[in-house]
Amino acid sequence: MYDAIYIEEHDTPAVTFAFEHFFNDAMSAASSKGMPVVRIVPETIVSESTVVEDIEAAITAVADDMVVALTRPLTAEEKSPRPREPEHPEKIVFKGSLEEVNRFFYQRGWTDGLPVIPPTEAAVAEMLTGTDLPADHLVAELEPRRGKATVEKIAINAVMAGALPTYMPLLIAGVQCLADNPVSGMMAASTGSFSPFWLVNGPVAKDIQVISSYGATNPGNIANAAIGRAMGLITKNIRGVRKQIEDMGVFGNPGKYSWVAAENEEYSPWEPLHVERGFKKEDSAITLTFPQSFQQMMPFGTDDKGILATVVGSVSPARMGLFGLLLTPAHAKSFADRGWTKKAIKEYIVKNTIVPDDYFPRLGLKTDKPFDRGNVTGPGLGPQIFRPSPRDPDPVQVFVFGGFGSWMGFMQGGPPPVTKKAELPGNWDKLVARYKNIVPSYVRY
Amino acid sequence: MTADKSVASYEVLSPWAEADPIPLKGLAPRVADLAGKKIGLLCNNKRAAPLILNVAERLLKERYPTSETSWFYARSFSVSSLEADRKAEFDDWIKGLDAVVAAVGD
Repeated sequence: MYDAIYIEEHDTPAVTFAFEHFFNDAMSAASSKGMPVVRIVPETIVSESTVVEDIEAAITAVADDMVVALTRPLTAEEKSPRPREPEHPEKIVFKGSLEEVNRFFYQRGWTDGLPVIPPTEAAVAEMLTGTDLPADHLVAELEPRRGKATVEKIAINAVMAGALPTYMPLLIAGVQCLADNPVSGMMAASTGSFSPFWLVNGPVAKDIQVISSYGATNPGNIANAAIGRAMGLITKNIRGVRKQIEDMGVFGNPGKYSWVAAENEEYSPWEPLHVERGFKKEDSAITLTFPQSFQQMMPFGTDDKGILATVVGSVSPARMGLFGLLLTPAHAKSFADRGWTKKAIKEYIVKNTIVPDDYFPRLGLKTDKPFDRGNVTGPGLGPQIFRPSPRDPDPVQVFVFGGFGSWMGFMQGGPPPVTKKAELPGNWDKLVARYKNIVPSYVRY
Repeated sequence: MTADKSVASYEVLSPWAEADPIPLKGLAPRVADLAGKKIGLLCNNKRAAPLILNVAERLLKERYPTSETSWFYARSFSVSSLEADRKAEFDDWIKGLDAVVAAVGD
């Protein structure tokens, strides 16, 4: 939609074909760019379809609409859209019981479907103790809605998610990650159901107990659960990406509830991810990627040879985007003991993970057709799965977390990672001490 | 609001962010007729897009034999947002057109 708007701005009439299920999404995108009355021709072609008969029939059916969209004179509203009323929301939006607050928020479309903690002034004030920034400080405006991610709005969503004030530095850095990635809005809305995965590095991880070992991404502890959940609510309530309205993920992704781990720096033999990405070891940071799938597998062997053979032999040619290799600390040690650095592992994977020459012919796909992915290999590129490019010079990443076991994992999809430093408030040690005992205490049975 | 005094009551703040109204823009004037016009076909990087535009191009030429078409292939979802290095090329392409048909593959 953005290109059609750009073209209209250049005084040239445009019309865009869009799948009829995506009409709301398209109109929200257009509206966010200041053109709420853009001309769209809804059609019945399922997103990314390659079924030529369906496409032929669908476009033929709306050919008149295409012509009309380019020739019918503009209405007064299309010439000069009425300005939207400025939003001046009441400070207190509702008063009621826990159940009533939850029902009100749910009916407004402000939750992820699970109950929330009511964001009272007192709860939000406590959340704001987690940062030295003032409540009205604007961290970023988040596309596509251009909602203002002020520190207060971040705190309100954090309260709802059940976060503790000590998570605020990471949540603020997380918002900066979202703002810094030019396609993160598209990722949140995409049919590909890309889910944010948040990897925490530095001392903050231990301070606030973001789990890095066994079951790191499982539910069961506040930090891993609430940080991702808060970022999901921020995506909905600040960014304005809502299920089935702007978020048109075909399958959806359970990672969107919360998908957070700390890197297992204690047992990793290598430099932490944030150091690899230019930060100091003593910095605290959060890294955002957008995998759409997570696959766990038992490697052919747990030494370097077995793990690498599993990687280069198991990656699907139909995959897209960033590739994150998930290694447990035991696997990482196995590599390091044999002299492997992360850089060497990445280079090996880029070089050796290939599509066999006869792969597409064996599938019955001919690479001279415009729509199969085999056709994207250009002269000199070869059949490599991973192709470093100016936009994504480092398409393979290595993340070390999890417990001591032999399973390994792939995270696949999405744009290059973004990492931001978390700025801790001046009274950090006191804050950490105040909340550090909020931990589960399990009984033996 | 609940009337039961034994049930706690909460006054809650809104999580929905404020957004500044942005200046709104109207559409470009339409053409009276597509006959004899140069029509751009803008194709993003989604694989359905060229297939859609292939059909659209054929139908346009059947209806308006004197029209011309010109394709632009984006490398991404959006040339104007994500391909800063091609802005001049994109602007030049638009300048030579009377109208554009875009397919986004979604």
